[in-house]
Amino acid sequence: MHLRPNQQRRTSRPTWLLMAASLFLAPTALANVSIDDEPAEEAEAEEDKEEVLALVGGEIHTGLGGVLRDATILVRDGKIGAFGYDVDVPEDAEVVDVSGMRVYPGLIAVGSFGLFGSSGNLDDSVDPYNQNMTLALAAGITTAVDGNSVAKLKRGHVDGLVVSSSAFETMSYSNGNPQGQLKVEGDLKGAADYIRAYRAWEQEKKSNKEAKEPSKKGVDQKSLRILRGEVRPRFNADDRTDLLEIAQLAQRYGFRPIINGCREGWTVADELGRAGATAIVTPRTRRPKDESLLREGGSSIENAATLYSHGVNVVVVPASRGISLGGIVGQDLLHLPIEAGFAIRGGLPQLAGLRSITIEAARVLGVDYRIGSIEVGKDADLIVTDGDLLHYQTFVQWAIVDGEIVYDKQAEMFFAHIRPRPETALAPAERMDSGEEAPADAPADAPEEEPAEDAGEEPVIEESGGEEPEANEDPEDPEDPEESEDPEESEESENTEQTAGA
Amino acid sequence: MILSPLLLLGPIAAAPAAPVQGDLFVIKAPRVELGDGEVMEHAVILVEDGEIVTMGQDLPVERGIPVIELEEGQVVMPGLVNPYSRVGMSGGGYNDSRPQVMASAELYPSAAYKAFFENGVTTVGQYPAGQGIPGQAVAVRPKGDSAEEMIVEDGVYLKVVMRNNSSAKRNLRDGFEKADDHLKKVEKEREKFDKAQAKAKGDKKKSSSKSKSKETFVPPPADPRVQPFFDLREGKLRALVSIRNAASYEHLIDAIGDEEFEWHLRVPLTRDIDVFHVADKVGERGCFVLMEPLITLVPGTLRQRNLPAEFERAGAKLVLLPRTDSKAGFESFLEDVGVMIGAGLDRKAAVRAITHNPATFMGLGDRLGSLSEGKRANLLIFSGDPFQPDTKLDAVMLDGKFVSGDMDQ
Amino acid sequence: MLHSLAALIVPALASPVTALDTVVLHVGKVLTMNEADAIHSPGMIVLEDGKITYAGPIEAREGGPAPVVALDTWAVPGFVDLHTHIHSGGFGDINDTVHAVNPELRAAPSYRPGNGVIEVGRAGGVTTLFGIPGSGSNMGGFGLVYKSRSTGGFQASVVRDPGGLKVAQDSNPQRRNSTDVGVTRAGMEWNLRDVADRALGAYRQGRRDPALENLSRVVSGDLPVLIHTAGSEGVVNTARMWKVKYGAVAVISHGSFDGWKVAPALAAIDIPVNHGPRTIDYYSSREGRIVGTAAEFVDAGVPLFSLNTDSGVIAEEYFFLQGSMSARYGADAYQMLRAITIHPALSFNLAHRVGSLEVGKDADVVLWDGDPLDPRSSVRSVFIDGDLEYDRDRDGQLF
Repeated sequence: MHLRPNQQRRTSRPTWLLMAASLFLAPTALANVSIDDEPAEEAEAEEDKEEVLALVGGEIHTGLGGVLRDATILVRDGKIGAFGYDVDVPEDAEVVDVSGMRVYPGLIAVGSFGLFGSSGNLDDSVDPYNQNMTLALAAGITTAVDGNSVAKLKRGHVDGLVVSSSAFETMSYSNGNPQGQLKVEGDLKGAADYIRAYRAWEQEKKSNKEAKEPSKKGVDQKSLRILRGEVRPRFNADDRTDLLEIAQLAQRYGFRPIINGCREGWTVADELGRAGATAIVTPRTRRPKDESLLREGGSSIENAATLYSHGVNVVVVPASRGISLGGIVGQDLLHLPIEAGFAIRGGLPQLAGLRSITIEAARVLGVDYRIGSIEVGKDADLIVTDGDLLHYQTFVQWAIVDGEIVYDKQAEMFFAHIRPRPETALAPAERMDSGEEAPADAPADAPEEEPAEDAGEEPVIEESGGEEPEANEDPEDPEDPEESEDPEESEESENTEQTAGA
Repeated sequence: MILSPLLLLGPIAAAPAAPVQGDLFVIKAPRVELGDGEVMEHAVILVEDGEIVTMGQDLPVERGIPVIELEEGQVVMPGLVNPYSRVGMSGGGYNDSRPQVMASAELYPSAAYKAFFENGVTTVGQYPAGQGIPGQAVAVRPKGDSAEEMIVEDGVYLKVVMRNNSSAKRNLRDGFEKADDHLKKVEKEREKFDKAQAKAKGDKKKSSSKSKSKETFVPPPADPRVQPFFDLREGKLRALVSIRNAASYEHLIDAIGDEEFEWHLRVPLTRDIDVFHVADKVGERGCFVLMEPLITLVPGTLRQRNLPAEFERAGAKLVLLPRTDSKAGFESFLEDVGVMIGAGLDRKAAVRAITHNPATFMGLGDRLGSLSEGKRANLLIFSGDPFQPDTKLDAVMLDGKFVSGDMDQ
Repeated sequence: MLHSLAALIVPALASPVTALDTVVLHVGKVLTMNEADAIHSPGMIVLEDGKITYAGPIEAREGGPAPVVALDTWAVPGFVDLHTHIHSGGFGDINDTVHAVNPELRAAPSYRPGNGVIEVGRAGGVTTLFGIPGSGSNMGGFGLVYKSRSTGGFQASVVRDPGGLKVAQDSNPQRRNSTDVGVTRAGMEWNLRDVADRALGAYRQGRRDPALENLSRVVSGDLPVLIHTAGSEGVVNTARMWKVKYGAVAVISHGSFDGWKVAPALAAIDIPVNHGPRTIDYYSSREGRIVGTAAEFVDAGVPLFSLNTDSGVIAEEYFFLQGSMSARYGADAYQMLRAITIHPALSFNLAHRVGSLEVGKDADVVLWDGDPLDPRSSVRSVFIDGDLEYDRDRDGQLF
């Protein structure tokens, strides 16, 4: 990965400036700012084993409300070691000059498809070089849910990527299935009874040693974990009645539901707020109200904002959870920040918009102890952008996972030609072909971006003979575009539900 | 040696006439590719009993030794070594771990082997069919009346297929785990034996047994399916791992973990292969990499890459294989390699890639794959630069005998 | 600061059909989109009798209504989308595919004014639309230029009927299932040339052929033609046929996939390009770059570059997003604003009425609470012909 080595130490900022600046920081951010005051020898001894990365001179958005301008982040061994204005950068640290740019926590996609190029067990089958992973990193996504695993987009690595193998514990509770509802209620009641009996027994035990421990037989384990607060159940629900009933169920048994979809949530936002719910929403969902009903309904661009103002935590996902390069842009995972922007359009505050794709997403997956915000001790999953993350022209310049730079906009073919970073005047299209001598000062990974010698020439391609016919081929890249017929034909289909752009 | 006049052989046409070619003769060649990339001009090669006895530039020749004098423009090259072919073998394989299977068991001297030497291939590595860990390869000469005659060396490498999936990785991990299990078993047996010995000693003191035989502990032999993994660990066997993409390489490293053994890579090139992502890592290892002479594309684009050249430049030891494992593939092989040279592959590396490197990969580098004293007399005579499309292969010599071309006996 | 624009204006509208009342707007920014690219910060717009009578810096006025003060908004011309299919409300009624060419057909009969789909588009700032037949046939018929009004019915909404010709040429609609001519590009070209020549002949001979009447207006340069075409193979031939051979007022619509590669040729023919719904190319060019195609057309010098939605392929209200994404992938953001306002108007003979905030033009003014290309901004109010057709506070935030 290309960096601008900058061995200058940035220790010039006097500490008084830090104290003045701290007045503007949210309390949590202040608590996390640590000043690296270690004496030189101590630092040196550690560095033999440690890998230190420093991002210097950027505007740090912690994701929790704190903003530090012209500050430094120090990453040690894959974790955030320190960040602030007066951070001592060790001599042999890898330094990246991010002045004029912003640093955010890496984004989290709570639903994804095709980013890991694998099927089944991620640890054994991830393709860490697959193109979709690179593109998702280009969008700023550093962690994604694949199937039911929470995994990092650790380009080039096959170990240490799975953060959690159970992203969600799902539960189903819907008007459309009253039997199912009865079962859920029964399970929860059974678990609640057990907990009550257990507590009673604990008291009784003190005076009566012979007291029998209540039996766990027949108690639904999932419900037990939910009532004990070990896990939050996730429901798929859009309809107002379903949402209301889930909210009431949650309040009755004292758990905080996660609701995926939550399209009509804005109509019952107060109940959902009381239930302590978290909603996973797609702001651009479009469904007209059911005209046969008198009450409010359907989708609303103000959904996220309304939920938020009633105390519901909001997580944002785009309509399409894959990467789409077919030509119609703005609706897929590549544009996750744009989706959050639409929630802001509906009235969601800016900070909540940022949080909806960072810390709230981490929380809903139960991994916020490691990722989702810039705090000392958390994983160094960071993105460096050339502007406000939620602005439509902002690009991710670098993406860092576990302290390693895994994406560099200038080093990949995809976007390097768009408003290139100043020090790399030549877009990759003009760089070396692998057949030529690399110039002395070419970035180490220049060979990645060769153009064809003459883009118009017919390549000499011959298939190498089918040596090893294999049962399971790698899934075909979705290379072929949709037939030109379909969209251009523009025949309106009868579907009443349009997500943004059909 | 006494300088003596040459025994003239008559006018030399396109191919010198071969008089009685016994076991001792000399070849005089204007230009010889040695196989390691170097070239010798005006070379004199003395062959006896199928082996190169002496070789040098402008050496004097003893009177009485038949001389084959080549024409100006002709080029001699070591016989090609193809370490990875199943021509001549048939049948499918399995999809699990059978490291004990030997390809030599399938070996049969059929007419199919003509395809090799007629196209200049004098040594072939033949591997067992199948996925998973199909078994061990055998190095053969493509001419002989029986399988035994053909075999140059058996067990030259263990083929392992690695993919980014659990079962492929498990094959490797399980193999070494089973080796560890066996070691534990051996330990247990040893303990039992020691206990028994101690007890017997004790007994002997009590009773007056005459038996004084001192037994030594004989460790139980390993299951034949596990033995190859011991061989890998002890350096008696090397592995050739077939990978299809960059991800498989990373998973291979992960599956190997802390184990240390010699392994090399087979990378079948397809149009959109993405292995260039790991070219540097592979180059750092400096292992052999077997691939076709093929220009590939960066996936999703029409941007061309010369992967053989990239890997070679990164430090890997390149071995080139025909694009298809068939007679047609062999026929166009040298021309295909020529295209890669034109596209940036270092010519010396290309020569090595089809002679010296594959031979060394199979552990036969001291015997063949290059032309120097002590090596087998496997050589090719071309009418010109071997990589030019209009060059003809005039003759093929295998173990000191012409087996193809106008010099056939 | 104003809380509800509507509160001040709605009572004044007695009969919505005739907008007679004067409205004076004080806004934070006026993006006129005029030839001088004038921007007034802050600025003032006066709407009178359905027209703009002033657009410039704030100045005091004697008499007249009290100004509506909305200094936290930007005033932007209503957007003009030249390629839309939502005039029927999104329930079909778009394609008649029996004949290859249908010069007699018009989109107007399918039009349902103020339908729900259009309303949301209006809440996205779109005020003028060219509603056209689909691309099921080579010549679909004549489209309708209309405004996204909810009040006033058909008459009040129509800007021009017939508004222009819709032609589809190349890649689709190759009529593969038909036994008619038109399966190949050659066949399509013949279908179009045949009927166009007949119309031209009628025009030149002064013959009035009812069936070809409107088509004659196209080939004589009176009515414009919007040509759906894509891919580098067909786009140049199409442009040459309509612009050079027939001398029509022609606009290339789509130009998708690798059409951007022939942008210099289109620039040389001097034909405007109305681009979308696809705004990136990755698969056609196979370069590995994600090419922002709008930037390519603009950089090549194509005149009057504009964007479209091909709605419902992309919902109408996301018209602005076409501009945002094009700007993201390399084009200049301000030029993309021009691409959804004045350029489409100019290229389709509509600029005398819409496309910019200039004196004498229709009072189609949209108030945004920020940069209209920023997805985080939303529309506060929409004036069409001086009538407040949408107000966020009054009507609820539709988008």
